[in-house]
Amino acid sequence: MHRPSPGLLFILPAIVVLFLLIAFPIVYTLYLSAVDNHGAFTLKNYANVLRPYVTRQAFGNLIYYVGGSIVFQVLLGTLTAILLNQKFPGRGVVRSIVLIPWVVPGIVAATTWAWMFHTEFGIINYMLAGAHVIPGPIGWLTDKDTVMPVLIAINVWKLFPFVAIMVLAGLQAIPGELYEAAKIDGATFWEEVRYITIPQVRPVLVAVTLLLVIWGLNAITLIYAITQGGPAGLSLITPIQIYQLAFTSFQFNEAAALSVLFFIVAAIVVAVYIKVIPPSAEATE
Amino acid sequence: MSAVGSRIGQRPLAALGLAIAALVLVAVCLFPFAWMALSSIKKLPELFTVPPHWLPNQPTLDNYATVFFNSNIPRYFLNSCIISGGATLVALLLAVFASYGFARFKFRGKALLQTFVLVGQLLPTAAIIVPLFITLRWLHLINTYWGLILVYTIITLPLSVWMLTSYLRNIPRELEEAATIDGAGRLGILFRIVLPLAVPGIVAVVVFCFVTCWNEFVFALVFAQDQSVKTLPIGLAEFSTEFNTDWGGVMAASMVMTAPVVLLFLAFQRLFVGGLTAGATKG
Repeated sequence: MHRPSPGLLFILPAIVVLFLLIAFPIVYTLYLSAVDNHGAFTLKNYANVLRPYVTRQAFGNLIYYVGGSIVFQVLLGTLTAILLNQKFPGRGVVRSIVLIPWVVPGIVAATTWAWMFHTEFGIINYMLAGAHVIPGPIGWLTDKDTVMPVLIAINVWKLFPFVAIMVLAGLQAIPGELYEAAKIDGATFWEEVRYITIPQVRPVLVAVTLLLVIWGLNAITLIYAITQGGPAGLSLITPIQIYQLAFTSFQFNEAAALSVLFFIVAAIVVAVYIKVIPPSAEATE
Repeated sequence: MSAVGSRIGQRPLAALGLAIAALVLVAVCLFPFAWMALSSIKKLPELFTVPPHWLPNQPTLDNYATVFFNSNIPRYFLNSCIISGGATLVALLLAVFASYGFARFKFRGKALLQTFVLVGQLLPTAAIIVPLFITLRWLHLINTYWGLILVYTIITLPLSVWMLTSYLRNIPRELEEAATIDGAGRLGILFRIVLPLAVPGIVAVVVFCFVTCWNEFVFALVFAQDQSVKTLPIGLAEFSTEFNTDWGGVMAASMVMTAPVVLLFLAFQRLFVGGLTAGATKG
């Protein structure tokens, strides 16, 4: 056969566009990271990026942010899915409402929560102080001890609905016969959870968790809009550092070097993802 | 449906606990929006009152008037519509062809190409933002509608292809085979037979693409710095200066920005959630 397959022709436009917009920039980043302003080869960009404390701080913050978010997103999302899988009046409406935090623009979530966490006029300080949980107003977004936990909480609020719908779909896909068979065998409620529910939902949880890691590594919007990485870099994460290096300091080569390092970390995560999740739906059918 | 459900529901105490849990869940999800809506109809002095008032003493539409008549938000709304709509069309067109190719043909390198498309969805956008900026600048596409429409295909196309491929695969082949015998060409089959059957899948992809582009922040921040192309997420930041934020304006603009997304989503929720979860649960 010398003529290309018609299937290939159908796919070609999408592949070309993705290749130009993804593969080319990656290669170009590599080049940029290894040259100086005059186009001569150098490793200085990497050295300049790795040396300052702020790079380590941003990476540490990123790990803290992604890790902390995921634990609570998966936990709350799974509990929500279990709740939404029960029969109760109004379940359909509740299922719709739960998705709303996930659908709204990240920037809207950011500004609304920033207003609610406002030190002087925020409703959260008012409610907590009124209930005597805290003695007085707390500067949630300016205090070094609270800024990251608060950002994580907002991120959890934004994304736990996604976990919930995916896990709910997984729960609903469990064949009823499995439970019936277990019942005949005299299994208790917890045995059903332990031996049927958890093993059946596990693949969904793995897939969702890895997606959350990748989205987490990408998350700029919330933190950038709320604190811009402050106070004093305490909520600075690597993606924001790249953005600032490139578009505030105009150090394109150093930004490229940091991008490459960041990319390697992300690629390892993606590799794990592909190893665990079969890439095509065909393989899983 | 499941045994887990029926057993808990049988006990009255458990039913009460269930109701309380559901109410707490709804409150957690909706409270920020309620506060946003309430704040958007308060006058500025009332927003800056300690302790805060739950309900506005004198409800006002002043903030909305500011947003509609005294800010750039209407223009940004238009920009957002054009860019999100354009990006959705481009992604849909490419995704229809690609997913048909993936769903119906066997060819060498297919698995590899499918992996490549999937990886596109998983890439950290921050890692490619610098070279994308340089590339777009070189193409003179910074601060143009086309620039943003192009970069948005990066974030929408992979998942669109994925969703649509699994949808097309579930459409029976027999109809197409009958049409082939009748002498219809490949494109004719795709447009006259397959696509009409795939409308629910296409709607899901359209909602996903539109909402994703409408909400996108970082690319817009970098590639649209001029008022003629800025989108709503960037416009929201303009209500804040270094020393002062017009919180009433921000909240009103947030309402304007959120309404289309939530309405679109609620209208097509079933299709959208079905399309998204299909791939993850089939395995």
